Amino acid sequence: MATETEYVDAGHAVDAVSLTKTPRKAPPAAKGVTYERILNARSEPHNWLTYYGAYDGQRYSPLDQINRGNVKKLAPAWVFQCGSTGLHAGKSTYSFEASPLVVDGVMYVSGWDGWVWAIDARNGSELWQYKHAIPYDVSLCCGNVNRGVAVAEGLVFVVTLNAHIIALDAETGKKVWDQTYGDVRAGESATVAPLVVKDMVVVGSSGGEFGSRGHLDAFKRETGERVWRTYMVPKPGEPGSETWPSDGEAWQRGGANCWVTSTYDPDLNLLYVGTGNPAPDFDGGVREGDNLYTDSGVAVDADSGEIKAHFQYTPHDLWDYDSTMEHILFDLDGQKLAAHFDKNGFLYILDRTNMNPVRVVPFVDRIDWGEVDATTGKVTPLKYPDKEGDPVHFWPGPAGAKEWTHACYSPKQELLYVPVQDVGATATRRRREFKESIPYWGAGVAVDLEDMAGSISAFDPKTGQERWRWRNDIPMCSSVLATGGDIVFGGEPTGEFNALDAESGELLWQFQCGSGHHSSPCSYSVDGRQFIAAPTGWGAWTEGFLPGMLGAGQGSALFAFALPEE
Amino acid sequence: MSGTAEARTEDVPNLDRQNGATLGRILGRGRVGRAEDGPDGKMTATIRILEDELVYDPGVLVLPHAGEVELTLINDDKNTHCAVLPSNGNPQFIWLVNHSKGTATLHLDGPGYYWYGSRTGNDEGRGLTGAIVVEGDAPPEAKLDRPPQPQP
Repeated sequence: MATETEYVDAGHAVDAVSLTKTPRKAPPAAKGVTYERILNARSEPHNWLTYYGAYDGQRYSPLDQINRGNVKKLAPAWVFQCGSTGLHAGKSTYSFEASPLVVDGVMYVSGWDGWVWAIDARNGSELWQYKHAIPYDVSLCCGNVNRGVAVAEGLVFVVTLNAHIIALDAETGKKVWDQTYGDVRAGESATVAPLVVKDMVVVGSSGGEFGSRGHLDAFKRETGERVWRTYMVPKPGEPGSETWPSDGEAWQRGGANCWVTSTYDPDLNLLYVGTGNPAPDFDGGVREGDNLYTDSGVAVDADSGEIKAHFQYTPHDLWDYDSTMEHILFDLDGQKLAAHFDKNGFLYILDRTNMNPVRVVPFVDRIDWGEVDATTGKVTPLKYPDKEGDPVHFWPGPAGAKEWTHACYSPKQELLYVPVQDVGATATRRRREFKESIPYWGAGVAVDLEDMAGSISAFDPKTGQERWRWRNDIPMCSSVLATGGDIVFGGEPTGEFNALDAESGELLWQFQCGSGHHSSPCSYSVDGRQFIAAPTGWGAWTEGFLPGMLGAGQGSALFAFALPEE
Repeated sequence: MSGTAEARTEDVPNLDRQNGATLGRILGRGRVGRAEDGPDGKMTATIRILEDELVYDPGVLVLPHAGEVELTLINDDKNTHCAVLPSNGNPQFIWLVNHSKGTATLHLDGPGYYWYGSRTGNDEGRGLTGAIVVEGDAPPEAKLDRPPQPQP
């Protein structure tokens, strides 16, 4: 061994980003993003200011430079890539699942494993990067993913897989505040894109597959001080507790996690929160009752966190039919409505003032788990794992007829567009005792590898009728985007990024991105040039939503498409 | 098979040395060490790269709590290596030529464990992959409101 004096001085370790050409500085674009601007997000269509583009969750961009007539000329303008270095959690599962935000030419987007980037939205150059160090052993049901960031008043907000909510300086990427809001030892994690509402930032927890007790949390935007926490499984004596066994412990590990971003109606001051499956997912024998507020749309007062109303889509769920996915808010014929495509295969149009159903229609061909009343939404279960060790096949499988990835609504066409997964699964009940942080499913599950289909389908919310369907031979697993150019964009698991005619569903344009789509495209413009941004990369819990594509190559590229410059 | 890692290595000694049953050294092998906890809450530890062993020593460094740790990294090998280390904000990189010594400051919030490694050549595959374990728990305000639950 060498003596101390013989050692060469290796110096002090440096930030890895210092070994790049990244300037580590972004323009102060996010400084002027106020709550009022987010409220009126659609009035500045060159930006994508919040997760769904606007609080209503419509995922609609009024931009129309790219339209049905010229979309054939669409081509990549730039590509951003990161890849991965070294060993990290869920190495085989990492992928983009985010919706990028864009503010006046600066894109803010999160990746896997704690990555956040600011990117020049005009040319794809990295402006700064932040990397949260993620413990390798954090409990992840569904991959090393993150669904996006929020921006306001010069800060970028993001959650980490080890259940922190952090605020970054939007100009430098340096951390401003950090709050832990989940317990990784209890199987909790975080993947949700935060939502800025008033002077708060709202986030939810993940961990329903590990028997956590789901919650929604609000923090002061400036300081990170907690404002409220609302549990989505009531304690004994609280409203809804009568839907859980009175003498049991089931409520303590009941699930109902809020791992997808809420939508928000500022006039009603209500957040529309989708909640996840009950735990254990498939073994209802240990949690008799409806199990509120699992698998529900919950209207939550934004100031207090108080639950004001709810509708439960799948009472006493035995199929893993989370209802975390978006509630799209829109008004028709004077009615304040919310549209929700549930994993259970039904489209629900609700009166969002009280969460009562207006109409319920199926949106996928094969549904045999149960029947749902077209007016009341009342469920009659038909096929479910019941006897120990007895395999039961049902449609849709636990990934749902639509996964968490988002539908959209075009106010121009007055149509809803949905990515559809038509694939079944077999569950065999296997009861197990609960232990904190250990998966708590109560069954062995195998999703079908064959006999599957998919589509992007258009529905008329006034009647519930399907207007058109663009068919695929495998499920469609990415969010869709509607634009003022009368186009619906959506990506395929096999890598193609598609533009469909919003009126007819005709395929107008396609580009092979080299890896599958499981994230949320958006649209923005810089200096009058419209872009369509599409994060790509196959990964996450592929074994759950499309195991027939488990062998497909991963990727980690964010494409921005535009028309050729004149 | 015996129950501990040490005993398993004795059972199959060729797995724990260069050019044994594996060409390199099994991932994550090596001693377990513990960082020292300073009066100001900052922790310190020394990690060495041993000559011709392609291993960080200790292979597993335990931090008693989350926070800041100052590492001294010493390369006692006759070849050049490096370390890409986890830290909140940005990974920390240090180049370690033959017989060199440097430092790194890491911020880790844990609890849980983190891998790090030497990204040059295939150092990672041949054994230069180490772990940092952060002990502790989530803060009380982050914990679930429920009675204590059964543990694995």
